[in-house]
Amino acid sequence: MTTPPHTSFWIALLVGSASGSVGPFILLRRMALVGDALSHVALPGIALALIYHFDPFYGVIAFLIGAAFLVFWLEGRSRVPPDAIVGLLFTASLAIGILMIPNADVVESLFGAFPVLSLPLLLTILLTALVLSALCFLLAKRFLFLIVSPDLARVNGLGRGYDLALLLIFAMIVALGIKLVGTLLMGALTIIPASIAKNLAQSMRRYVILSAILGGAISVAGVWLAESFRFLPGPAIVLLGVGLFVLSLPFARKGMV
Amino acid sequence: MADTTVLTVENLSVTLDGLPLLQNVSFTLQRGEAFAVIGPNGAGKTVLFRALLGLVPSTGFVEWRPDVKIGYVPQRFSIDRSAPISAMEFFLLQSPNFWRPGAAFTKQLDQELKSMGLGPGVLKKGLGELSGGETQRVLIASALLQKPSVLLLDEPTAAVDAGFEETVYTLLHRVQMERGTALLLISHDLSVVYRYAQRVLCLNKSVVCQGPPVEALNPQALATLYGEASFYQHEHGPGHGHG
Repeated sequence: MTTPPHTSFWIALLVGSASGSVGPFILLRRMALVGDALSHVALPGIALALIYHFDPFYGVIAFLIGAAFLVFWLEGRSRVPPDAIVGLLFTASLAIGILMIPNADVVESLFGAFPVLSLPLLLTILLTALVLSALCFLLAKRFLFLIVSPDLARVNGLGRGYDLALLLIFAMIVALGIKLVGTLLMGALTIIPASIAKNLAQSMRRYVILSAILGGAISVAGVWLAESFRFLPGPAIVLLGVGLFVLSLPFARKGMV
Repeated sequence: MADTTVLTVENLSVTLDGLPLLQNVSFTLQRGEAFAVIGPNGAGKTVLFRALLGLVPSTGFVEWRPDVKIGYVPQRFSIDRSAPISAMEFFLLQSPNFWRPGAAFTKQLDQELKSMGLGPGVLKKGLGELSGGETQRVLIASALLQKPSVLLLDEPTAAVDAGFEETVYTLLHRVQMERGTALLLISHDLSVVYRYAQRVLCLNKSVVCQGPPVEALNPQALATLYGEASFYQHEHGPGHGHG
C-alpha cells in the first residue's frame, strides 16, 4: 500500500485542530481524566483488528463509541461514582489489549507511529475531523450552557442528548488520532491545547478558537520534530505541548487574548 | 372574574432513596405577586423549586398556566473561577447566535443591564471575577432577557455581601411592579418577606403555614417551623462558614 504524501502532516493538522476544538468543553466539564482513560479502550479494538486482519481504525472507532455510551450511561446514575468505575474498566481494557496484541505491535499501538493508510481512508479521516471540529463550534453555546449551569440549561430545554453528543464527538476525535499519537497519549492531545489556551484566553469564544489553532499547530510541529529527529510522533507532539503549557503558566491569571 | 392563577400545586411530594424530602405541598401562585418560600435548612425549599421545574421526579399535581414563561435564577454558576467565560458570553447563551449576536439582542441586553443597575463594563469581566452582588444581578438580567412572566429565585442574596441584599430586592421589586412579573422566591430573611412578599409559604418538608406574612408568620407558626428553643430570625447561607 502506498501512503499518500504528507499523510502524517495532514492528520496532525486536522485531527489536532479537532482535538483542540473539543478540548475546552471536556476540560471545563472536568472530564479530562475520564477522557484520557477513555482512549485506552481503543486497545482491545486494535487487538481484535490485528487478530482478524481488518484495519485497526474500525476496531478503534467501534470500541470508543461503545465506551462513550458507557460513560454516558454511568453519568446518569447518581449512586455510582463514575470516575472510579471508568478508571477501573478502562484500565482493565488496557491490560486486556496489551495481552492480546502481538509484541511487535505493542509500542505502535500505545504511542502511535507515522500512519500507513490508503488514500480513501486518509480522506475519510480528514473529512470526519473537519466535520467534528465544525460541530464543536456549532454546538458551543449548548455545551457551554450545560457547563455553566446544568439546571438552567435544562430549564431552557437542553436535554442530556447534548452530553451524549459531546462524548461521541470526543470519542470519534480520539479514534481519528490514535494511529498517529497512540492509545496512551491521544487523550492527552485533547487536553493539552485546551489547557494552554485556558491560560491565555479571556473569553470562551477566543478560548475555543485558540485551542483549535494550538491543537493543529502543536501536532504539525510535533510531527515535524519527530520526522527530523526520528522520534515517534506521539511522544514528540505531547512533549512539545507540555513544554508550551509550562511556558503559558505565567499568563494563567490574567490571560493574553 | 378572570383566573389569575399562573401556577397550581396540589399534593406535591418528592421522595429520594426512600427518604421523603417534600410531602403533600399545595399552593397557588397568582399573576404578578411576590410569593416567598421560607423554612430552615434542609426543609426542602430547593427541592420544591427543582420539582416545579421538572428537574427531579415528583408525585402530585403541578400545573403551569400554558402561556407562562418561566425565568429561573439559580444561586450561582456551576463552574470554577478560572474558566475563561465572560459575562457577555453568559448572556449570549440566551442569544440565537452565540458567535455573532444580532443588534436586537444587544439592544435588549443593554436594557436589562440598566434595569439591574449594571454598567456595560461588567460584560468584559470573567464570570469568576464578578462579586456576589454582580453575579446575582447578572443571573437575574439573563433570566429577564427571556421576558418571563414568572421569576423563580433560589435565595437571591445568599452570596451577596451584607448591605447589598437590599439593592437586589429593590431591583426585583421594581421589575415586579413595572412589568407585572410574578416572583417566586426562597428567602432566609424574614424582614425581606415582610417587606416585599404578598404571600408566604412556610415549609418544613410539608406546609407549616401559608398566607399574607403578617397573618401567617405568627409566633406559633415560626416556633413550629424553626423549633421553639433554636429560633432565630436570620441565618446566612453558604459562604459565611461555620467554625
